[in-house]
Amino acid sequence: MRLTARARNVVLMMLIVGAVIMLMPWLWAIGGSLSPAYSSLTGGIFPSHPVLSNFTGVFAGTVGPVWRWLANSVFVSIAAATLVVVVDTLAAYGLARLRFAGRRVVFSAVLVSLVVPFVATLVPLYLEFDQFNLLDTYWALILPVSGSAFGVFLLFQFFRQLPLELEEAARVDGAQRLGILRHVAIPLAMPAIATLWILSFIQVYNDFFWPLVSTSSTNMRTITVGISVAAIGQYSTNDALLLALTFVSIVPMLLAFIFAQRRLVAGLSAGGLVG
Amino acid sequence: MAPATRQAQLSAEGVAVPAPARVTVAFGRANARGRRNGYREHLQGWAFVLPYFLCFCAFVAAPIIFGIDISLHHWNGITGAGPFAGGLQYTRLFNDSTPDAQRFWADLGHTALFVGISVPLLWAVPTAVAYLIFLAPLKGLFRVIFFAPVMLSPTAVGVLWAFLLGNTGAVNTLLGLHVTWLVSQPYAWISIDIATLWWTLGVNMVIMYAAISQIPGTSVEAATLDGASHFGLFRRIVLPQVKPVSLVVIVLATIASFNLFAQSYIMTGGGPGTSTETLSMWIWRTGFDIFNLGSASAMAFVMGVILLAIGIAEYAYIRRGSLR
Repeated sequence: MRLTARARNVVLMMLIVGAVIMLMPWLWAIGGSLSPAYSSLTGGIFPSHPVLSNFTGVFAGTVGPVWRWLANSVFVSIAAATLVVVVDTLAAYGLARLRFAGRRVVFSAVLVSLVVPFVATLVPLYLEFDQFNLLDTYWALILPVSGSAFGVFLLFQFFRQLPLELEEAARVDGAQRLGILRHVAIPLAMPAIATLWILSFIQVYNDFFWPLVSTSSTNMRTITVGISVAAIGQYSTNDALLLALTFVSIVPMLLAFIFAQRRLVAGLSAGGLVG
Repeated sequence: MAPATRQAQLSAEGVAVPAPARVTVAFGRANARGRRNGYREHLQGWAFVLPYFLCFCAFVAAPIIFGIDISLHHWNGITGAGPFAGGLQYTRLFNDSTPDAQRFWADLGHTALFVGISVPLLWAVPTAVAYLIFLAPLKGLFRVIFFAPVMLSPTAVGVLWAFLLGNTGAVNTLLGLHVTWLVSQPYAWISIDIATLWWTLGVNMVIMYAAISQIPGTSVEAATLDGASHFGLFRRIVLPQVKPVSLVVIVLATIASFNLFAQSYIMTGGGPGTSTETLSMWIWRTGFDIFNLGSASAMAFVMGVILLAIGIAEYAYIRRGSLR
């Protein structure tokens, strides 16, 4: 749409003001993380004598086993996202392309579960993992997200839009179902599958409630829970140290964001539009 | 389906050695109409769905059923499940005289207050930003700036804003204020709302942007020729066109806001007093501090039902409005 020069400048000005407001917290936080411990931030954004002691302190394990927490988070998120993608791809393809008895029942159950809030399953899920002695293990952190219906629904929509002709051509060549999925459907659905992977990665990496409940030993915490352990523990007043910890915690997410920004934005838009 | 079966099917239909192209057609039909399914297709279908179905049963369906069972029993912090209690956990919630019930309803009120303030903001601000970015140059840059906080975890957001809104924090320093943001009302709620808006507006902005950019150019051009102002254009053309997507954003924002936990937990600790304690937080405390899992389960179920009802009501209300 065409804008007059004046309207364009007004729009630009409003956006610049908004962008500055959005960016200020980052700058202050960087300044805070470079301030000496327990010093309150007064005056400018950047401390007059910036120090790196907060970051070296975080890496040296002042607030807890930060490397372990980061490794836990990255491992659990990758494992969970991969599990979700494998399980959901198979299910979505089966539901979209194969007509089998009980298909409608499965699909309705999936749809209904989209609206069940997580808190409703929190306590029983906890007891279930307790029953199998799996609390405070990686299993507890990885497995529950595999039941989520979101990915099945997302990929189902995608598989249904793929032209049938391609798959039928492959079947004429004598390919089996699994072969068709692997060589025809998955390559075509790769953008949607990659999007689901990155969304699942972020969801698990940033999850707070379930890891807080399902882990109890310091070594099994994820970085997201680790921050809260530090923030309400003995370092609650040491803002500089907590901010350094926060910046360390977003490094894996930052990498994911840089590599997959386009995919992520596309996925979120599709999620909203699909509803 | 194996090639051999396919041959058998075709000959059963009486198709005499068809050309490959016709095979394709015959196949499409048989599949699309769901006829001629052998038991193999049923088996194959279940083989594909089974891994997910097992995960779904184990981590969604079973917990829901098991949760109802838990909420119907007495619970003891040390010995675990006690005798059958019937609907006692539920009737206790609706009996105002017990302190637990009073806290439940008070926390429901706090949560509703937060939802009431944050949901309109979480729709209006992202929509306005999305429209501005849609009109402006440097779209990519602005999108990244507004989207960046989304990648933070809720605990990171809590730490960050607790620092910014501290008594001698950056916000007070910059604006020359002496507001005790985190420890007095109504500032504690304003703090949590600001943090939440800063954190999540990027998600809704991206969704609304996608919706706005799909509006057919002709309807906008027609309105421009009619001499509509930019604001009029936004209100009369853009907003009605993105209504279905707005609905999705509002329902998602309601559900997310209703589950508020980490921001309160980190920034205010539920205080001052218990004034920013939310329903999720109280359920967590009941279940995992006091270890009354029966009561926690019952409260979680009531919360789940309320959430569902709100979601459905919002959907119905906006749908009805759009039909007029």
